[in-house]
Amino acid sequence: MINLMNKYPVKTITPLEEDYPRMLRYIKDPPSVLYYRGDIKIASNICISVVGSRHGTGYGKWAAQMLGRKLAEYEIVTVSGMAAGIDTYAHKGSLENKGKTIAVFGCGVDVCYPKANKDLMIEILENGLVLSEFPPEFQPTNYSFPIRNRIISGLSTGTVIVEAGISSGSLITAEYAADQGRNLYAVPGNINNIYSIGTNKLIKDGAVPITVIDDIIDELGLKRKESIQLKKTLGKDEIAIYEAIETGSETTVDSICKTTRKSAGEVNAMITVLEMKGLIYSCMGKIFVAK
Amino acid sequence: MLSKVYTTSLYGIESNLITVETDLNNGLPALTMVGLPDITVREARDRIRAAIVNSGFKFPAKRITINLSPANTRKAGSHFDLPIAVGMLAAIGEVQTYKLDQYVFIGELSLDGKINGVSGVLPLVLGARDAGMKKIFVPVWNMEEAVLVSNVEIFPAEHLKRVVNHINGVALIKRYLKEENHSAVSLENKEDYADVIGQNNIKRALTIAAAGCHDILMTGPPGAGKTMLARRLSTILPPMSEEEILQVTKIHSVAGELSKNKESIGERPFRMPHHTISPLALIGGGTKLKPGEISLAHHGILFLDEIPEFNQNAIEMLRQPLEEGEIRINRMSGMVTFPAEFILVAACNPCRCGYLGDSKHECICSSAQIQSYKSKLSGPILDRIDLQVELMALNYTEITAEHSKGLSSREMAMNVANARNIQKERYYHMNMAYNSQLKGQYLNKYCYLDKETKGLLTEAFEKMGLTMRSYYKIIKVARTIADLDEKENIELKHIGEALQYRKTDNESMGL
Repeated sequence: MINLMNKYPVKTITPLEEDYPRMLRYIKDPPSVLYYRGDIKIASNICISVVGSRHGTGYGKWAAQMLGRKLAEYEIVTVSGMAAGIDTYAHKGSLENKGKTIAVFGCGVDVCYPKANKDLMIEILENGLVLSEFPPEFQPTNYSFPIRNRIISGLSTGTVIVEAGISSGSLITAEYAADQGRNLYAVPGNINNIYSIGTNKLIKDGAVPITVIDDIIDELGLKRKESIQLKKTLGKDEIAIYEAIETGSETTVDSICKTTRKSAGEVNAMITVLEMKGLIYSCMGKIFVAK
Repeated sequence: MLSKVYTTSLYGIESNLITVETDLNNGLPALTMVGLPDITVREARDRIRAAIVNSGFKFPAKRITINLSPANTRKAGSHFDLPIAVGMLAAIGEVQTYKLDQYVFIGELSLDGKINGVSGVLPLVLGARDAGMKKIFVPVWNMEEAVLVSNVEIFPAEHLKRVVNHINGVALIKRYLKEENHSAVSLENKEDYADVIGQNNIKRALTIAAAGCHDILMTGPPGAGKTMLARRLSTILPPMSEEEILQVTKIHSVAGELSKNKESIGERPFRMPHHTISPLALIGGGTKLKPGEISLAHHGILFLDEIPEFNQNAIEMLRQPLEEGEIRINRMSGMVTFPAEFILVAACNPCRCGYLGDSKHECICSSAQIQSYKSKLSGPILDRIDLQVELMALNYTEITAEHSKGLSSREMAMNVANARNIQKERYYHMNMAYNSQLKGQYLNKYCYLDKETKGLLTEAFEKMGLTMRSYYKIIKVARTIADLDEKENIELKHIGEALQYRKTDNESMGL
């Protein structure tokens, strides 16, 4: 940790300086001083924030990770709060595709919260930026997180809410984004899923729904890159399984067995092969399409 | 007068022959007992005095010395009452001594001379047989247990007086013979996997666990059916062999778990200790060196429901028995080895409230709570569990759908029996029976992987961050899957499937 402190020392920046994040200058109450570690210049690039519930479902984590990856593919900076759950996966997705990512803390930039994300924080320091308006050694408190949410939305041209319960903190971020006149996107979910109530409601109130991951690219006015047709390399049975996963929303091994009329053993074997090819992804017993 | 009578004494789950020597001498009336008797043996003197008098004999008013030989091992248990009483009666001439050395006596005396049942009869009888003794007196209570031992004559001891009459040739007691078709286990009215709707993925994993004796961890929200699935695992295991029944009954006998209507253990044990269990009760030990739950689950199933709620020390202590199939316990009273070859079935929730990742209920745990819940299952323990699966709660339409019944115990049991036979044949010349016991050179010999298969495994090794131990565990599980498939070699699909059952360590558990 001491070595990291030397490598990525805490620096400060004020609105009077040139490198102060561009988009942050235009919000109502920009922080008068920002503490940061890492490369501050990336905060003036095009940023999109991806936030959501700390718990979330496998679906939410998948969506966050995919968004992170997609944004990194187009060299867009992913901003998030490095909280457990959705935030973590947004950062991870971006880092996986060698993208830049910014973590905005509700505590000092030398405090790692939650502690479990220590490795992730090091990775973010190496490939991006950690910033906060709270001085070093400031411990996380329940009021500091809502305040920092305005920085998350303020840094970005748009904010994506991936999953939010009825009283999720990410709804505060959504409110800030709307106040600041930034774009607001939400990932729709099943209406019987409590973590999607918040996001579905946002869509009802006018947020732009992300119906496929590429929507975020279209919204930003960028041209879609052609994705490689990996499906062509698959065998007949593998395609049957892949399609079953593609058409079912939150598929489990049991549901794939039912649609493809194969035994659990066969299905499990093929899932591994598809996973190794990077086509699908499983989380907490559910299986998703990865691309 | 001096007399010699034989009995046996427990030592762990083994027993040794003991000679009870009784000497009567002139002097002030007194009774001394030597040869390291513990408190239950020393208390015998008062029971014996009353029993002898109430059986119509005279208690000798002499200086009595009783020696339990060999004198350097500790002796415990109330079954010394009968041999000591017989020895004393022999010393005063009430019992004829010329045939006495053919018999071994086991039994606790009641004050009126009746003989009560004791625990540990099976190993006691086995010990006597192995020492070359042929005729054994056992309390009527423990007959069924004692007749499990072949090549010995078992005589039911009901009352001190009747035992004496038999030896004196006044009224003979008939040798007890095993009742036939007693051991036939009825398969009626049993739980069945058909009772569990859906969950075919987990049933498949449990089939693999049963076939290769692999340990399994199930993670899932409350009400998903974890306990139901675990309880039915015994229905798909093949019945125990004679030898296994003997060994399991032996352990249960020592632990005092047998009773009048459960005299021998004919079915595979299913042990489900509550999570408040102390480490000693789980592992075994204590001043009397009793077997713990893991040994009582020998050749059966140890089900630890809500495993993170268990005392963490207790869980960590499982490491050695999980690897070696036995537990060595060192105490002041000696060192014993109890067998502990069981299938560990563990179940836990994804978090403290149980609803992490569930779409119907909100998870109310803080991230610190989730982390601490998960950290309770340490890496070394997780690493040792071969199969790790996650299950989902079914929704209403899935529960009511007619076609979702899924596999029944009968189909699963057939697959398991088949795979176990293949393993038995393959490991015939070795001291093992299951794939989960494969080690070192044999692992390479019986688990040949072709280039393509090895490639997949290597790729997965990198991507999933597996340890070396879990790498081999995957190969062993794949071996079992190949056996279920009746294939000579492990194929790509077998490894692929095995990899699916090792998700927990990098997905939900290490979030």
